Amino acid sequence: MSPTTPLRALVVDDEELARRLIREYLQGHADIEIVGECENGLDAVKQIGALVPDLVFLDIQMPRLTGLEVLELTGRRSGVIFTTAYDEHAIKAFELHAVDYLLKPFSKARFDDALARARTLHAPANGTPESGSNLAPALDALVARRTAPLERILIRDREQVHVIAVEHVECIEAQGDYLAIHVDGKCHLKPQRISEIEEQLDPARFLRVHRSFIISLAHLQAIERPGPDRHAARLRSGKRVPISRSGYEKLRTLV
Amino acid sequence: MHPILADARKLLWYVLAWLLAGVGIAALLRLTEQAEWAGALWFALPICLVWAFVALSSYYVCRSLPYSQRRWPVALGLFGGASLLSALAWLGVGEAWDSVGLLVGREKPFVAMTSPGWVMYFAAGFVLYLLSLLAHDVLVAFESVQAAARREAESRVLARDAELQMLRTQINPHFLFNSLNSISALTGFDPSAAREMTVDLAQFFRRTLALAERERITLGEEVVLCEHFLAIEKRRFGAKLNAELRVSPAAAECLLPPMTLQPLLENAIKHGIRQVDGGGTIAVDALVRDGWLHLAVVNPVAREDVPASGHGVGLKNIRERLAVLYGARARIGWQRSETQFAIEINLPIDKEAVS
Repeated sequence: MSPTTPLRALVVDDEELARRLIREYLQGHADIEIVGECENGLDAVKQIGALVPDLVFLDIQMPRLTGLEVLELTGRRSGVIFTTAYDEHAIKAFELHAVDYLLKPFSKARFDDALARARTLHAPANGTPESGSNLAPALDALVARRTAPLERILIRDREQVHVIAVEHVECIEAQGDYLAIHVDGKCHLKPQRISEIEEQLDPARFLRVHRSFIISLAHLQAIERPGPDRHAARLRSGKRVPISRSGYEKLRTLV
Repeated sequence: MHPILADARKLLWYVLAWLLAGVGIAALLRLTEQAEWAGALWFALPICLVWAFVALSSYYVCRSLPYSQRRWPVALGLFGGASLLSALAWLGVGEAWDSVGLLVGREKPFVAMTSPGWVMYFAAGFVLYLLSLLAHDVLVAFESVQAAARREAESRVLARDAELQMLRTQINPHFLFNSLNSISALTGFDPSAAREMTVDLAQFFRRTLALAERERITLGEEVVLCEHFLAIEKRRFGAKLNAELRVSPAAAECLLPPMTLQPLLENAIKHGIRQVDGGGTIAVDALVRDGWLHLAVVNPVAREDVPASGHGVGLKNIRERLAVLYGARARIGWQRSETQFAIEINLPIDKEAVS
């Protein structure tokens, strides 16, 4: 590691004292430069996009967006050190995917360890592709299962972030590589596979009625029969969604 | 709904039993030579079929007079009266149906009963309804015993939940570890503040442990606990968190279950202050009016449409806990406007043991 290219770090935590502690711990490391601090998840999403830091100290429990939601929105999969006081689910997931994390309060020695590990993973000089992307699958899995069942859907629309409560979602439609999420007469696009979001949604509230459609059972008004052996769901907004044969079978057992 | 009507299988057996009774009545009529077989069956079976359903009404007669408020003269009068009325109707229906026989082209009525025959028939109607009443009475008693057992089990579960909730409040790991982290940070640049925070944390836990053992504490004691709690949280959230506690002297003397106010403040910080960019002020008002203790907590909330995750669980816990301790006498309500969340609790004043 050459001292001429310091690692650029972003510190994300909503508590001033917690950020201050990380600043203090970092004072002894000349090869790390703090380029920014954020006190909520939304801000973190913006700063990660704008500053592209090498290293992010990311708190899990934050206002607006949790640390894992920040990862989901930014697509960031490396150079992250999680910090958390207590979050059973997150910790279990970290253990499961061998992701490094700091439990508050943490000692200077433990902090230095995590930093050393992050440095080797970052390895900017030789740029071996596998070392940097080592954590990516683990973090992918972590983000995908961040909460089950999903309570809110996050959508990034250029500089804006939309957070949608799942109870407002009428239906979700697969459109190529995107999902069209229909909410209150509006439609948001999100790059995700329909099978992936199907797994995350509560099966008691959402149902995949068609290869490319998931509907919210709370928004379902009636099942129509536009023709023999053909079914469609009419939603409360008046929108109609096709139902496949197997979708109809599933729907019948549920309703 | 009547338990027999709600279950097709039971209903079938029940109707079959009545039809069997009908065959019995027909046989009696035949034996006493008041009718030939065909007429007797034509007479008895339809009437029994109808009466199968009329007799179900006795379920509601029994329910109108619960065991707990039953006096024997009243019960006897009600049961006797109901049976008498039913027997009169039974007699009327019997006579009417009997003459229908003439209308459908028979030469004579279904049965040719003598006056003593009709008296016997009337008595049978009376006894049948009385039997039905007694059978239903047993059923109702059985149901109420079951319901009481269920209620008792439910309230035991709720009471245990309330206890667990309280234990969790005492040792909220999030609060504890974050506070320790703040202390760890303070030691580096402000050791005396770190020391103060340590003392506040210790006081908070010590008081929580002491108060949790008691069934009722004064609001004043709870407020002292809350002040320690707020002092810790103020260190964590800095200028973002302000609190105004206005507790009238009369309110401070009122007794209430421990940890009633503190979880409200915790909620106000977690779902309110923390989520608002510049923070804000939590306003607590406690006063006594017309024999009631009014507790109100108002805090700012984030204006945005960002839906909070997991909101409302804590409030539900508080509501359930008060319901277990006060029954219907405690009132709790909350409302959220675009920028504010307000929660109000009204409790009947409890001052008997000011010791």
